Amino acid sequence: MAWGLAAPAVGVIALVALVPIAATAWEALHLHDLRMPWLGRPFAGAANFVEAAYDPRFRAAVIHTVGFATVSVALELVLGLALALAMHAASRGRGLFRTAALLPWTIPTVVAALVWRFIFDAQVGVLTTSLREAGIVGTSFDWFVHPLAAWVPVVAADVWKTTPFVGLLLLAGLQTIDPALHDAARVDGAGPVRRFLTITLPLLAPAIVVAAAFRTLDALRLFDLVYVLTGGGPGTATEPLSMYAFVTLMQRLRFGYGSALSITVFLLTFVFALVWVRALGRALAEERR
Amino acid sequence: MHRASRDVEPYREERIEPDYIRAGGSDRNAHHLTGATSLADTAVPGIIGAAMPMRTGVLVLLCLSAAAACAPSSRPGPLTFSGSAVGAEADVVRRQLARFGERYPGVRVELRVTPDAADQRRQLYVQWLNARTEEPDVLQLDVIWTAEFAAAGWILPLDAAVPDAGDFVPAALTAARWRGTLYAVPWFIDVGLLYRRTDLVPEAPRSLSGLRDAARRAVETGAAPFGLVWQGARYEGLVTVFLEHLGAFGGGILDEDGRVIVDAAPAVSALTFMRDALAPAGFAPPSVLTWQEEQARFAFQNGDAVFMRNWPYAWGLLADASRSRVAGRFAVAPFPAADGGRPTAALGGAQLAVNAHTADPALARELVAFLTAPEQMLERARLAAQLPARQSLYDSDALAGALPLPLDQIGAAIAAAQTRPVTPVYSELSEILQVRLHRALTGQQEPAAALRDAAAEMRALLARAGLTGEGTAP
Repeated sequence: MAWGLAAPAVGVIALVALVPIAATAWEALHLHDLRMPWLGRPFAGAANFVEAAYDPRFRAAVIHTVGFATVSVALELVLGLALALAMHAASRGRGLFRTAALLPWTIPTVVAALVWRFIFDAQVGVLTTSLREAGIVGTSFDWFVHPLAAWVPVVAADVWKTTPFVGLLLLAGLQTIDPALHDAARVDGAGPVRRFLTITLPLLAPAIVVAAAFRTLDALRLFDLVYVLTGGGPGTATEPLSMYAFVTLMQRLRFGYGSALSITVFLLTFVFALVWVRALGRALAEERR
Repeated sequence: MHRASRDVEPYREERIEPDYIRAGGSDRNAHHLTGATSLADTAVPGIIGAAMPMRTGVLVLLCLSAAAACAPSSRPGPLTFSGSAVGAEADVVRRQLARFGERYPGVRVELRVTPDAADQRRQLYVQWLNARTEEPDVLQLDVIWTAEFAAAGWILPLDAAVPDAGDFVPAALTAARWRGTLYAVPWFIDVGLLYRRTDLVPEAPRSLSGLRDAARRAVETGAAPFGLVWQGARYEGLVTVFLEHLGAFGGGILDEDGRVIVDAAPAVSALTFMRDALAPAGFAPPSVLTWQEEQARFAFQNGDAVFMRNWPYAWGLLADASRSRVAGRFAVAPFPAADGGRPTAALGGAQLAVNAHTADPALARELVAFLTAPEQMLERARLAAQLPARQSLYDSDALAGALPLPLDQIGAAIAAAQTRPVTPVYSELSEILQVRLHRALTGQQEPAAALRDAAAEMRALLARAGLTGEGTAP
């Protein structure tokens, strides 16, 4: 009876999630290039995955993806925590403050990316022209032409857009902390830093883990920001995994190899999700104790 | 063709499904079903933003579940034509298709609107033709796709349909042939041009060093902030710019036998020249490495550049005095040569081909012959300012007054026209080159090393495709 009632839901999940993933995994085991029909579609075993392991562009893409996730999520957690503390402390105009802080989160990523592209533009961009006038950068400096500098707009746009989201999650965590704890600590003579380190931070840990989990999973799937801001360039210096998979599948039309890359993105995200869920469970268990 | 992509027209989804749903036991149908799954596959996590395949995938699922609703319409239906249908081009093509219908009573030709962005149209074509759909019967191909489609068996030979093939611009004809057989008919052409400010540089530079000196002098005297601007973003346009520098030094990407020669000395000189132009003491702004056609045009149009490499479309816009600061003060010439090379103009443009699975090959060939006849080309030149692909039209006075560009200046560029490599794997070859060129130009690799890596990757690609060496064939 229970299974019967669950069947429609299970069927839908199978149709929209499991079947496509299984089909992609199956495709990844074949040599299949849409533009070379004369090669057919022979079964190739793990050849596509072996090719990926030796593909320098793929390895660079993995490094780009993981590096971006680490840097941007770290920045977002620090800034988000500061934002949450400010929102928590604000007494007057609290509602207005919170709404204003959330604005970036409500803007579609592609629109935000276009605006950031404009800010960093070498000819007319506000930031670049101000830096040039201040003599900090040379006249021919262009963010999008330098392999490392090109990451700055990407990380800046991501941090700007998602810090409010992290801030909101952490604010919810802050509000569950009993103010009596702080009062008691204050009576015992603990200063603000001590109270932050021994009361706020440990009690906020579950919220931090949740925020970090959401943001890391998002950051590992980085695509739209890079697509609009740098196109993966200069060269392939800012190309993340999902963009390399996209190029392989949709531009090169190498369905076999592209599927193998997609499966790798999927596995990477999946493993991170598992690890984080474990960490989350542990954090919650500790809190209960 | 390389213009900034305009709004993408929604493509006709009902054209995709007929073959997927003809489920049966044969190998052919089994292949189609695999094709359908692989389209659905692309809707996996990680391919965010790939709206097109997801839509296709959903569509396929819908069709699989409601096969009856998607049954292929029975022939004889209208003949279908797929190509650009934006602005003036749309008017011209609609007018000509209607005229074809009048000439053949009972025949109706429908326009299937496809995305105007070249990459997207190609992806769509590849998916359709892989599924062996009967429509569209006639396809507008970019000059660089013909070999790919011909080798895959997706388009029909057209030798019999074009008795006067010798009339076409030779470079365009080269791009339309695969293994000696004509698979497409040149429709209109595009050639890379060197625009220059006639008030600053009255005479076209005779050599590449002359161009460099004039550009550098203009920057040093403050006549304009930039000496030369071109298309340096990592996309197809960069390859055409490189091809012109390459020709100037006497190099090439593939030799006549299809062997990779892009790591030879002339190519290294060409890429080094391009990189040095971007150096602090150079004459081109490093920002060109993020520019496509339109950004270069804006810079030139605002009077910020002495020279610009661009396509003929820019002429009409630059000549418009209400928007352009350089109206009446510019001219064009082919990109000049260095020692040991020749002036080179990258060839672009469109060709017409016939779907190999069309229901009516004879009529489809008739349509191709009609659209590429001199009268239709002249009308297209007059109304859409696109250059005819027939050499004789330039040699006679038929074109006088039809085009905004001066015929003598454009004629020199057409004589210098050079195709990009004619190979079934051109798209991927180009992508390899784009990445390596961009790495070298942004200082991540030395030109020689970048080209060595590019050549190695290209050789591996040709080997994988079974196209190594002479007699390249599937």
